[in-house]
Amino acid sequence: MGLALAAIPALRPPAFVESFLYLVFHWIALATSWTILSGFSGYFSFGHGAFFGAGMYTAATLAVTFGVPFLWTLPAAGVVAALLGVGIGAVVFRVRRLRGELFALLTLAVTFVLATIVLNTRIDGGPGVFLAAVAIPRIFASAASTIYVMGVAVALAAVGAAWIVQGARLGRGLFAIADDEDVAEVLGVPTYRFKLVAFGLSCFLAGVVGGIHAIFVTYVTVAETFSITVPLYVVLMSVLGGARHWLGPAVGATFVTVLTYAFVGGEWAVVGRAVVGLTLIAVILFLPQGLFGLIGRRRPGRSVPAPPAGERTVAAGSGLLSEAATDGSATAQRGPTSRPLVRCEGVRKAFHGVQALAGVDFEIREGEILGLVGPNGSGKSTLVNVISGYYRPDAGRILLDGRDLAHQPGHRIAGLGIARTYQIPRPFPRLTLLDNVTLAGMFGGAALDGGQAEREARRWLDFVGLADRASALPTELNLHQRKFLELARALASGPRLVLLDEVLSGLTPAEIGEALALVREIRRRGATILFIEHIMRAVVDLTDRVVVLNHGQLIAEGRPRDVIRQPEVVAAYLGKAYA
Amino acid sequence: MPSLTLLGQSLVSGLFIGGLYGLLGLGLGLSWGLLRLINLSHFALVLLGAYLTYQLAGTAGMNPFLTPLLIVPGFFLLGVVLQWAFDFFRVNEFSSLLVTFGITVVIESVIQWVWTADFRRLETPYATLSVRAGPLFLPVTEMVMLLVATALSLLTWAWLRFTWVGKGMRASVEDPDIAAAFGVSPRRLALLLSGVGAAYAGVAGTFVALVYTLAPSQIYGWIGVVFAVVILGGLGNPLGPLVAGIGIGISESLTMAVAEPSWAPLVSFTLLILVLVLRPDRI
Amino acid sequence: MTLRHRGFLSATAGMLVLALVASTSAAPSGQPIRVGGTLALTGPLAATSLVHKIAGEIFVEQLNKKNGLLGRPVEWVLLDDQSKPDLARTLYEKLITVDKVDLLIGPYATGAIMSAMAVAQRHDKALFHHTFGIPHLAKYERQFPTWAIGPEPARTFPNLLFDALAASAKPPKTVAIVTSKFPSVHFMSVGAREVAAKRGLREALYLEFEFGNRDFGAIAARVRDANPDFLWMGAIGLEGNGLLEALKKLDYTPKIHFYLYPAPGPLALAPEGKYALSTTVFEEHPPFTASPVAAEYVKLFRERAAKAGMPYQSADTQAGSSYAAWQIMEAAVTATKSLDDKTLAQWLRSNRVDTIIGKVRFDGPNNYGDDLSKIKQVQDGKWVVVWPKEFAAPGARLIVP
Repeated sequence: MGLALAAIPALRPPAFVESFLYLVFHWIALATSWTILSGFSGYFSFGHGAFFGAGMYTAATLAVTFGVPFLWTLPAAGVVAALLGVGIGAVVFRVRRLRGELFALLTLAVTFVLATIVLNTRIDGGPGVFLAAVAIPRIFASAASTIYVMGVAVALAAVGAAWIVQGARLGRGLFAIADDEDVAEVLGVPTYRFKLVAFGLSCFLAGVVGGIHAIFVTYVTVAETFSITVPLYVVLMSVLGGARHWLGPAVGATFVTVLTYAFVGGEWAVVGRAVVGLTLIAVILFLPQGLFGLIGRRRPGRSVPAPPAGERTVAAGSGLLSEAATDGSATAQRGPTSRPLVRCEGVRKAFHGVQALAGVDFEIREGEILGLVGPNGSGKSTLVNVISGYYRPDAGRILLDGRDLAHQPGHRIAGLGIARTYQIPRPFPRLTLLDNVTLAGMFGGAALDGGQAEREARRWLDFVGLADRASALPTELNLHQRKFLELARALASGPRLVLLDEVLSGLTPAEIGEALALVREIRRRGATILFIEHIMRAVVDLTDRVVVLNHGQLIAEGRPRDVIRQPEVVAAYLGKAYA
Repeated sequence: MPSLTLLGQSLVSGLFIGGLYGLLGLGLGLSWGLLRLINLSHFALVLLGAYLTYQLAGTAGMNPFLTPLLIVPGFFLLGVVLQWAFDFFRVNEFSSLLVTFGITVVIESVIQWVWTADFRRLETPYATLSVRAGPLFLPVTEMVMLLVATALSLLTWAWLRFTWVGKGMRASVEDPDIAAAFGVSPRRLALLLSGVGAAYAGVAGTFVALVYTLAPSQIYGWIGVVFAVVILGGLGNPLGPLVAGIGIGISESLTMAVAEPSWAPLVSFTLLILVLVLRPDRI
Repeated sequence: MTLRHRGFLSATAGMLVLALVASTSAAPSGQPIRVGGTLALTGPLAATSLVHKIAGEIFVEQLNKKNGLLGRPVEWVLLDDQSKPDLARTLYEKLITVDKVDLLIGPYATGAIMSAMAVAQRHDKALFHHTFGIPHLAKYERQFPTWAIGPEPARTFPNLLFDALAASAKPPKTVAIVTSKFPSVHFMSVGAREVAAKRGLREALYLEFEFGNRDFGAIAARVRDANPDFLWMGAIGLEGNGLLEALKKLDYTPKIHFYLYPAPGPLALAPEGKYALSTTVFEEHPPFTASPVAAEYVKLFRERAAKAGMPYQSADTQAGSSYAAWQIMEAAVTATKSLDDKTLAQWLRSNRVDTIIGKVRFDGPNNYGDDLSKIKQVQDGKWVVVWPKEFAAPGARLIVP
């Protein structure tokens, strides 16, 4: 494919053909480079013009002012753009709030700032940079051929990069980030590093595209380079083609470029422009999935409505129950020990002056099911968030095998073998069940490769009774099934400690029974469990020990049946619940 | 050292241009925040409104400040029809960008077809009228514009906050089912909101015609800064664009007063970046 | 010379002209000569491109009504570059390699002309272009700039302007220079700054603003504070109006004010544009319209502009240079009886061509010759040339309020 495209100059087409195809490939490269960060991870950048422009001015300045041979300016153009991107990312990606529109705004602002700097310094200063004196490398006989081949090369590089990224760990991680970044981090995706790598790659490619375009237009000005056209068209093309697929932006870019340049006749220019607009409207209205939806694979069963709640539960749970029943004898072998797995020491966390955790000390012993109870707002969820690394504690230590987790990022904690579920399930909505669970195997403590993780994922889906829904999307599941998906995802990472945050809430009594059996089975297989729950009967049935939180402080600890009789506990919590 | 009069005058100038940013951003922010539609055609509607003002006031001889009486109802209907079509075709946040870009291009072509690409200037006595306040001059059109922008922003804010319909609207962003509990259909609310947004575009258009000379491609000139203003102001917050617009307007204008004017965007957008990075919770 | 004699002469001349008209008005025949070019018919540059479109259409029609070029009809292959220089480049390659046009006429605006010039150079084609603003960048020996601003307009033009001001009733002593950082404007303003300094004017203010700036309030306040005798506004398009309106809102009228490349209509028609100065090479009054060709063109331009719905219908620099570009092309082809780019280029570099903007030559640096710029002023809502005196509109002189 690439060779065929690169061989076009050998056919000696009119220069126009190469020049026009160059423009097509130029936009393919630019749109694809954008999608590597923005399409895959959902961090929509509205500042792609800044990186494109940085590359353009780097190449122009090096070639004109310093006389660097043009081909050598291209890597420099890419590197400068990438450094700019990574520099911005290093600051911005640390700030949790700067997602979605705020990221778009930030990158847009960077474009304005960069344009102003270029305009007012010797990089440009106002008159523009003229590249007529720059020798076009003689790769091919004509300049048009050479520039065309450079365009093809960078477009292929961009599309190839997108393809590789999409299939690699990086891509899996980016898609997870797009759907739910916090969950991705807690599942073990190094979100900060992945975003930075993707941004760097995206900007590098945009910079190289800019460098080539400098010699194509031969005259570089601030107003043209940093205009709103680049970010706008790049977003339009990617979205039109499908921003979540490596080939989508290429399809969209080809379509838009051919469409906008189809009407260049002088007589009816205005009408032609109107036709362009109408065509765009028609395409989107009748192909809402993007152009790629027409060509690309359609996910089987995507439109199948979710079965009514409860219908599948019996089938899903029955296998487990029977397995648990037959292997019930094994439970005794894998029981609680006295060896602490995790120890919290003086953990404190405050939000706007309110102490959510006011110095919590307790330990989770290897092999036990530890119940964590307390009234609403007592700090249970905060504690789970602190242990899993979503929040950093203000003070205190959380020791796993003597190693302090308190200031580790979430993905590293996941890598050490701590997994969690969410009270309200947070599956990645645009990934299939199989992909949801596979991701956990790839990035969690197990750190499996793609194939192993997928096998493991199928096993765990089977374990929770969702094997036959592996290619469904989470939105097609009912609440009970989504809770089981959460479990499968937590288990697929091969955790040593599972933090179960109210897995029972919202379930029917029959479903609760299944869930409890499942939890016992998880412990039987060797994991330690922190079981957070409101339903006291379940806690008493299931857990080996219980700790009670109230107002961010531990008020009781011990065997479940003892603890619930303690007066402080009754007053703080049970009194109300049993009233 | 720049004189106090110069600083004061620049402050006034930044305040007024901020008012225009706010007016331009108001309708855009509403549909972005509450309907999750990024309506690029908002800018095209603004310019269409400006050309209609030019036509009504310049050729037909109406008082330009009265032209919204004719433009606003028409634009309201247009907004309703557009929203109906978006809903019918199930346009979502991303495809909205494309569809409305297509609409923008069509409207641009219509404008160029009817009024040509040549510049159009609405000559009115209001254009350069000013009143004096001490050492400062306050241009009348811009003052009215700021007042209108402020009034519309406050009214919209109050409407969303205190009326039954407004509460339902805000609820429907969170959860359509809750909105149903308010006894209002999210679909009808969306039609209403889109109509209001388009009407605001019409009002903004009138002021653009009063303040600027018109050309079809100016549609694209505003996108960057108004996007910034709308997001900075907090999507769906009717007071946001005005406040953010005035912030950007004044910081640019003061930079122009004390330093080389061509550096102005650096100052305002660096400030914006710092605000985003250092105090993201405040937005 | 007696009256009789004169009558005889004029009668003979008249007969000669009649005979000429009769012989040349035979309809052109044969394969059409194709002239290719792009204009920014859509996008931000469309306003001025419309002027070039009308000018070219008038010229081609006139040419085909006469004898065409070399007896062959002329066809103008006009494409829309959508105001994008990269598309202009591609389309010029299309014109040369696919449409295989015989001659190339230029696009509009600096960026597109630069792109077209690079393409023409790679294919060794001659390029006739209308209004290119940065002579030192036009480094191709077969490009022929019509807009005669000389090889160093940043030096020659400000000198012309300050000469005009020095000869006025109130020669300025202080100057404020405010300029857009638009490439073709910025270097002129930098030049004006140097010339003003050399001529001993005190610089009251020098400001640069970003192209596309919309808020002139603060800049206007600084101009008012500086209160210069003379304001040089390095403006392109609507920027001039923007500053002027902002000044008016501060109740300030600049004493003598100059705008480099303003949109001519809006500035002439705005009340505060009174006595504004600008540069030009062609206006629709004598002596420019003394030639019948120019007079006819001005009339036709007005008609077509009105028909196209343009609010401002006067032919000026853009319309004049646009028509003159076609005249230069015609002159070279007719004189050499050739369509060969090398032959045309050689002839042009050693001959002067009479056009409606004056006699132009291409034998200087980068094919630039004389600076034919003039100073014009808004008087009674119309632009009239006021300097040099021999080009001034009848009865007009530089008014210094």
